[in-house]
Order: sequence, then C-alpha cells, then structure tokens
Amino acid sequence: MTRFLARRVVLSLVVVAGVVLLTFVIARIVPGDPATSWAGPHATAAEVAQARKHLGLNRPFIDQVGTYFRGIVVGRWGTSIHTHRPVLSDLKTVVPASLELVFAAILLAIAVGVPLGLLAARLRGRTTDHAVRAVAIVGVSMPIFWLALILQLVFFNQLHLLPVAGEYALRFQEHPVHAYTHFPVIDAALNGNWAMLGSSFSHLVLPACAVAAYPTGVIARMVRASVLDVAGETHVQMLRAFGFREGTIFNRFAMRLAWNPVAQVVALVFAYSLVNTFLVESIFDWPGLGSYAGESIIALDTPAIVGITLFVALVYVFVNLAVDLIQAALDPRIGLH
Amino acid sequence: MSVIEATALPGRTRNALAWMRANPLIAAGGFMVLVIVVVAIFAPLIAPYPGDAGYATHPLDIFKPPSTKHLFGTDNVGRDIFSRVVYGTRVSPLIALAVVAIASVVGVTVGLVAGFLGGIVDEILMRITDVFLAVPALLLALAFASVLPQSTGSTILAITISWWPWYARLARGEAASVSRRRYVETGRVLGLSRLRLLTRHVLPNATTPVLVQASLDFGGVILTAAALSFLGLGAQDPTPDWGLMVNEGRSFFQTYWWAVTFPGAAILFSAAAFNLLGDGLRDRLDPRRVVGR
Amino acid sequence: MSVSARVFGVSAVGAALLLVAGLAGSGAARAAGGSTFVYDSYTQVMINWDPATAYDQEQVALENMYETLTRFNPVTQKLEPLLATSWKKSQGGKVWTFNLRHGVKFHTGRPFNAQAAKAALLRMQKLNQAAAYAWSAVKSITTPTPYTLVLHLAYPQPMDLVSSAQYSGYMYDTKAAGKEDLTKWFNAGHEAGTGPYELQTAAPGQEVELTLKQFPGYWGGWKGKHYSSLVYRIVRQDSTALQLAKSGQVSFVQQISPQLWATVKGSPGLSTPTGGSFENLLIYLNTASGPLQNKAVRQAISDAIDYQGIVTALKGAAVRQPGIIPTGLFGHSSTVPLHQTNVDKAKQLLAGAGFGPGKPKITLNVTYTQGDSNEQLISTLMKSNLAPLNIDLNVTALTTSTKYAKARSTSPADRQDITFIYWYPDYPDPATWFISLLHTQNPPSFNFAYYSNKALDKQIDSIERITASNPAQAQKVYRQMEMTVYNDVPIISLYTVEKQRIVLNSVGGYRDNPAYTDVVFVYQLHPKA
Repeated sequence: MTRFLARRVVLSLVVVAGVVLLTFVIARIVPGDPATSWAGPHATAAEVAQARKHLGLNRPFIDQVGTYFRGIVVGRWGTSIHTHRPVLSDLKTVVPASLELVFAAILLAIAVGVPLGLLAARLRGRTTDHAVRAVAIVGVSMPIFWLALILQLVFFNQLHLLPVAGEYALRFQEHPVHAYTHFPVIDAALNGNWAMLGSSFSHLVLPACAVAAYPTGVIARMVRASVLDVAGETHVQMLRAFGFREGTIFNRFAMRLAWNPVAQVVALVFAYSLVNTFLVESIFDWPGLGSYAGESIIALDTPAIVGITLFVALVYVFVNLAVDLIQAALDPRIGLH
Repeated sequence: MSVIEATALPGRTRNALAWMRANPLIAAGGFMVLVIVVVAIFAPLIAPYPGDAGYATHPLDIFKPPSTKHLFGTDNVGRDIFSRVVYGTRVSPLIALAVVAIASVVGVTVGLVAGFLGGIVDEILMRITDVFLAVPALLLALAFASVLPQSTGSTILAITISWWPWYARLARGEAASVSRRRYVETGRVLGLSRLRLLTRHVLPNATTPVLVQASLDFGGVILTAAALSFLGLGAQDPTPDWGLMVNEGRSFFQTYWWAVTFPGAAILFSAAAFNLLGDGLRDRLDPRRVVGR
Repeated sequence: MSVSARVFGVSAVGAALLLVAGLAGSGAARAAGGSTFVYDSYTQVMINWDPATAYDQEQVALENMYETLTRFNPVTQKLEPLLATSWKKSQGGKVWTFNLRHGVKFHTGRPFNAQAAKAALLRMQKLNQAAAYAWSAVKSITTPTPYTLVLHLAYPQPMDLVSSAQYSGYMYDTKAAGKEDLTKWFNAGHEAGTGPYELQTAAPGQEVELTLKQFPGYWGGWKGKHYSSLVYRIVRQDSTALQLAKSGQVSFVQQISPQLWATVKGSPGLSTPTGGSFENLLIYLNTASGPLQNKAVRQAISDAIDYQGIVTALKGAAVRQPGIIPTGLFGHSSTVPLHQTNVDKAKQLLAGAGFGPGKPKITLNVTYTQGDSNEQLISTLMKSNLAPLNIDLNVTALTTSTKYAKARSTSPADRQDITFIYWYPDYPDPATWFISLLHTQNPPSFNFAYYSNKALDKQIDSIERITASNPAQAQKVYRQMEMTVYNDVPIISLYTVEKQRIVLNSVGGYRDNPAYTDVVFVYQLHPKA
C-alpha cells in the first residue's frame, strides 16, 4: 500500500517535471525568436536584449532548462505582456471565477449524468437506453461555444430571462462583500447579501449549463458502462444465483462498485472543463481563466499562455493523484493492482 | 438462379432492418457519416454559390435571412451560408482525417516499440506519454497553435501533438499483452527477428482497438479544430471552416441568428456522426473499452 | 421506485430549484443602474497613462480625470473657461495671458496654480510627443502672479483653441511621483489630475478596466445630481454590448456594428443618437519594406478596393470624402480626386510591376483591432477585392497595443504590410494628419506607412507658420500635400465616420461633443429615474 502511494506520488512528480519541460519547449524552442516572443511585441530593442539575457539564450541548453525550472519552482512564471503583472498573480486573480464555473458545471453534470447513466444501465437495450446514449453522445459532440451562443439567444433574447455577461450585476462592485472563497455565489451567501446571491446565481446558470454539456455526456456514459461491467462480474452473478431480486442487486451492489471509475472520470472531466471555459467565458464575459487566455491570444502574450498551460496541467495531475489516493484509502484492493 | 436472388434480397433487407433496429446508434452514425462524405464529394453540385466558399463577397446582400434563394441566409459580407456550410465538409473532417492518420501512425509506432521492448525503453516512452496526457488536448493544441504561424498545417500539427499519446498507450498495452503470449514467446525462442514478430503478430492484434479509437477520435478532433478556429487560432477567412464561421458571426448573432446557428449545427452534426459510429463500433468490436476522452 | 429513479427525481427537482433561484436573481439584476455610469468600449481604453504623451483611445477616460485650460462648446461653437477663467491675446496673437481658477486641487492634494501649469506644459514640450506640435510656437512661459500664466510665442497661434485640445493640454501634478520617475509612475496605473473623477481601480486586460469615483475636492462641487462613479467596461463582442445596453447594464456604447445599431432604433429605454465627425478610417500601406515598397503595387491596391461596397456594407456609418482632411475642416479641398475602383487599371499596374494573375503571388500581412467589427468587415471585403489580382491578405486580429507594438517593431520584417487607424484632429486643425501620420519618423510613432518624403517633410514643417500668416497660401499647400498622398499612396482614406451611439434613456443631459472624440463628460450628466 505504502509502496503504491509512494510510486504514485513519485510518478506524479516526474509528470510535473515533464510538463514544465514541455512548456519550456513551447516558450523557447518553437517560436522563431524566443526573446522577442517572451518580451512581447511591445518590447523595445533594449527590452528584447534584456529578455535575451534573462532567458540566457547564449548559455548552454541545459543551463537554460535549469534556470527555467528554478524560476517555476520559486514562483517566477514570467510577466504577462498584456497586463504587465506577474503571470502567477494574474492567475490568482482569474482562477477563482473559473473554478466557480467548473464546480457548478460538474455538480450539474453529476446531478443529470448519474441518474441518466443508471437509468440506461437498468433498461439496457431498450428505447430509453438508446435515447440516453444518444443524449450522452450529443453532449460530448457539442461545440460548447455554439451551445453558449444558442443559450443566450433563447434565454436572453427570446425569453428575456437570464443575464448574459459578467459574474454578477456591476452595481455590487460598489459595495464588495467580504471574500471568503472568491466564489461570488458562496461569498454572497456567507455575507447574507441575498440580492447579490440572486444576481450571481442568475449569471452563473447559462455558462454553467454550457460547460456542463461535455461532462454530463461523459458521466452518463461512464456510469452506464461501469454499472453494466460490475453487473456482469462473477460475484454479482452469484448474488443473482442466491435469489436476490435484480433491483436489489442493482441498487445495493452494482452501483456501489461502479463508483470508482466514475470518480476517476469526474477527475478527468474537471481538467477538461477548466479548458472548456476558454470557449465559454469570452461569450459570457466571465472574468476567469478563459477570458484571460482569450486576451493573451490576441495580445500574443506567450508568458501568459505558457503559465495557463502549466497551471491547468498541475491542477490535472494533482486532482488525479488526489482521486487515486482517496480511492486507495477507501478501497484497499486498489493498491494490489 | 434468378429466382433465388429475388427471394434472397428481401430477406437481406429484412436482416439489415433488424440489425439497424438492434443497433440504432451505429446505424444513425453510419448514415450521418455517409451524408457528410457524399456532401463533401458533391459539394460543387450541391452548393448553389460555390464562389461564396472562396473569395467572393456581396456587399449588397449582407445578412439576408434564410429564404429559398439563400437556404441558410447570408453572412456579414453577403456570402451564402448554405454554400459555405456545404464546402465546410471539406475542411474540418479532412483536418480530422489528417490528425487521426498521423497521430495513429506515430502513436502506434511508439507504443509497439515500448510494449515489445519493455524495460527501460518502455518506462521512458510511457512517462513521456504521461506528460502529454497531463495537459488537456485542447489546451496543448492551443498553446502550440499560439506559437506556430497561423495556417491549416499548424492546426493539424498542433492537434496531432496532443493526440498521438493516446494511440501510444493503446498500442503499448496490446503489444505488451501479445508479446507475453505463448506463440510470440515461442517465436522469440525460435529466433524470429523482432521486426518480424512486431509486424506479423503484434501489429495485427493492435489494429482493431486502434481503428476503434480512431473512429472515436474523429468527433473529438473535429471539435478541437473547431474550437481553435473559434478562438482565432485556426483557419483563415475565407476558408469555409465552421468554427471560424461561428467566430465571425458571433458579433451579430442575436439579430442575425442564422450566421452562427447553421455552421454550429454542422459541427454538432459531424462530431455526433463520428461519435455515434465510433461508439457503436467499439461496442461491437472492442467491448472492454468503456470511455473515450 | 428504484434508486435510479429516485436519484433522478431528486436531481430533477434540484435542477428546477436552481433555475428558479436563478430567474428570481435575474429579476433583481434587471433593476441595476444606480448612479454608476458605465462606458462600453470595444477595445482597451488605457494604452498610455502619461497625460503629456497620451495620444489614443485613453482620452475617453483622461478627460474625466484631467482638465484643460479651456474647453470647446459644440453648441455655441465657442471656447469656455475650465481651469482658466479668462484669457486674452496681445501683440497680434504672440502673447497669451491665462487667468487661472483659484481653489483647484490635484487629486494628489497639491494645489493647482500657474507654477504647476507651467511645469506640466514644460514637461509636455520636452517629451514632444502626441499633440505637442501644436505648442511648438511657445518659446517661453512666465508666471507673473501665482494665478497668471503667460505664453510667449514665436509666431501667432490660437493658443486658447490649442489649450482646449483633447491631447497634450492636460494639467497634471508633475510632483505626483515624488522621487520616482513620473512616466513610470503614471504607467504603473496612476493619475494626477484635477478633474471631477479620480481613479479608484485599474485592471489592465480585464473586462472592467477602470473604475473612477467622485473626487471630493473637485472645484465644481457635487451639488445637484451627478453620477457617483464611472466604469470603463471592455466588451469585445458587439452582440454582448447590445445585450448589455438592452438590459441597462451599460449606459453608453461607443461604437457598434452599423448592422446591429440599425436594429436598436426604437428599442424601449434606449436612444440612438448619431453625429458627424472629423474622424476618418485610414489604411496604411507599408512603404518601407515588403511588396508595398513598390509604388505601382500600392496604386494597384488603391484601384482594386471596392469603396462603394464598403460604404454600402457599413450602412450609414461611413461617408466617402476626397483627401485625408475631412470636409468642414480648414485645409479640406474638394478638388482632390477621390480614389475610384478600377480593376483593369489595377491589373495593368500590377502587370507592369511583374505581379498579378498568372505571375508571382503577393501575400500581405494585415492587422486590425480585435473587437472592431468594422475593421474586420473591411479586411474581409478587401481580401475578396484583391484575390482576383493574385494578392492574398493574411489577416490577424490583435489588441490595440499589440497592433501598435507590431507596427513599431524595431525590426522591419516584423511589421505589418497593411493596418488601419482612426484619426481625428486634436483641435479643429488639419495639421495632425500630416505631422503625426506622414512626416518622417524614426522610430515610428504613428507613421505606420513608414513614409518618408523629404519634400513633403519640408512642407509639413512650415505649414503651421504659413497657416498663421497666410491662410490662403496654407490652403494651397494643403492641397499640394493631399495630391502627394493621392499619388504616392502611403495612406488611403476609406471614409469619414458617422458616429452611431447607443445611450440609455436614464442618462440625463447627454450630448456628443465632436471636438472630443468619443468622450463622455460624465460630470455634466445626471442619472434619471
């Protein structure tokens, strides 16, 4: 067990190191002139020269990699070209908004996807099953930026129901609430500011629905597949032989065992949804990672793009590791695999 | 002879119908893919204004709503959206084809080598794939596309970079399991060359799962390419790329809804077509694999 | 009932509750407005924070934080007192005496007086950027009393008009940064003006880029109804801007696609004022490097553009005019020929230069400002116009400052071949088009055609003096300069902008002031119920 954990942690560290190396390649090797790309198009000749020196482009390759690693470890992720601030502090500013969006979307996806998957598995091969699978496939095939636009068209333009832009109405900026979590929905509730809670909630609905399309489809498919998988296993068939009713087997045993792969897939879609916010945030003017990425792209802001890539990869590795460790703690069999 | 055929045909048709009823998803997917292929081949005959998929513009016909003349309306420079959507079947599905082809060849090669050789080579190659898999495909493609010059070639390259490791993992798994099988071990003992073993025994076994994966990936690659174009990192105007068309139309979509609705629906249609087909194929050919990406 | 059905039921109810809560919340959001004025811009506002050298879109914010000595009133067509309460000229316009307002404070707390004004002007002259050219006649500045500012000129200039200009005439506290470098201090996101609103927060690159609040020590006082704060919100998508205006979340939309603007007319709660302007959209052609170095290729491009198509596509937001000086300004000449579409002539010119159909392809890099749907539209149309001539445009959308950075790149190979700029006069005078855009500049500040013509430079250098001494002669020189531009094609003037705004009906007292492009003087407005 301990060996399993240790191996898992060490492997994660290796992957993180590899990702840092990969971002090094993107920042320093792919662009024609890394110094110009790093200093940004605003840069004067002196600034480019400074960047060249900072990046150590005349030093041996291995030295450059070393310096780059050290910089990442001590938190020097470069300076964003379009905000003139350190990339890391920019990320600190924008990430909470995206996390709020992704958490909301994943909750929504679980709330819809799990029941759908169970339903399909229970009624395998019937019309309901086919319908659920079709819905799930539409979910994973959805261009979510398009879905976001269509949602706006329907709920704002036609029905005049939901707001379209921002995290909450601008007037709440005049009297900011105390930020416990930096999630406006939760902060507003903790502060007892019900008007702001309503406002931030209504702003959250449409973008969360758009981001939820993909995880809903994936979760529904995964739940269906892993329940069927478990239901076919020997010990479950034995239960059948003991005369347990199909419903009981399904509810008591199969669902519980199917939980592990589902947890893993949630971890997977978490990181993917974080990236999917890139396609939705600019449509809803959501002030998060995606809007930051969009601005970085049109400002040719290489340090910011590299920082975003690194950040999301770290989140992904960490979430995966956490899920593995939690599962190992709950289910001792895992360490044996 | 002819009598037998006459009675056999309806039987076959009946069988086909029964099969379709039992596999409605794969049937629907197959039909949708067929539609895309046919439209792509006959685009010049189907599109009423082929020039609008190219450099033509019509300032006098800006944002005409859908009508019999312009089935899907016109865009912000007066081009017929239906013609552009039709020609779009020649853009992202082809990008997807290129990406899947290159990624599977590269990935399978790496995977077979790793799985067959095992040991340190295997460990190193698999850790490399881990690194690539730790960055969501869209983000990695986006990062590469942002530092590469803007072109269709760059789009293909950027997506391929983020896609090959999946094939490597897959092929490596197959190779590892096959190479431990008795007949391969025997072959090794008998002194058959490694290359011969790889190509004769390991590769054929890996083909089915790779093909299933490839068919599943088509939809994902179409979505990724569309997302890159939507972010302004993919194809350039006037390429009739659906993602780009949504991007160009989004400034106006609430008033001129048709400018984004139809190209976006085309993305959904084609991604769903390949996902349905891939899903169905996987169910039939490789039921162990449960979830794509 | 199975577990799955139960789970399904519970989550369905949960989702329904979420939706209801969301809808209830949106009702509350609808009532927004308060006394915050929200200015919607399609692109970043603050490009340069230094009031002495700022020369771009930032004036829409600076004019609310800083003040000038005088201000032009578009209704009376007269200058009004601002930081100067009265002024007079003597010695035939070569000496100007401004009596300054008492009791004015900078946002830094220091008092505004003649010494402070002199320091601000001297620094502006020393940096010699933006509209500093308009002050180049000023030889010396004296301060006979603490509230008297005297300008001594080398030749007569309308300094009352110059000091009302939307650039370079701002009064700012030169001691604001203490021992630090003032330029750096400004560009770190600070201001030091006397205006009614002071900076509260600045977030470059974010959607809410700037928040300004009332300056309690403002000399004009805060009696009566005023907006308590002022927000600059960057909305890159026209469709979002329209939605925000319709739901009352922005008070003013600076520019929106004419296709969308036309659909807003008659919407409840919104008004759609229009107004002429002295602003035109110019196309720069890179005369220093790449295929456009060749004059024949530039001429071919000017012949290939479908001007009528562009104007038609822009539905009333664009008016074609000859020359680069807009109609109504001194120096405009109606006898300068208008560029006409003539594809055959374009083909001939290209053939002469060894290009065109069947010959080597020309690929040109074009940059435009992300969020400006008009520039995007024009790029697409031009691409379409030029394709039959075997010229391909490689179009990139960038933020304003990235676009400029590329244009100012130290290496000519990194610069674009074609880009766009909106240009308008700093004060009602045409010299800026030539001084700022066409005079030899090394390094380039706004001459993104990288045009260098010694004869033209000479004419530009003397035009201000000639205007002061002999207007009729100046008119002739302007026409000659226009002809040089017409023949050499470093710049093509596409059209003059017809402003199409969206303003909330709850904004009281709004009036466009064409002398201050896109500026809303929020102090003069009042929120209505």
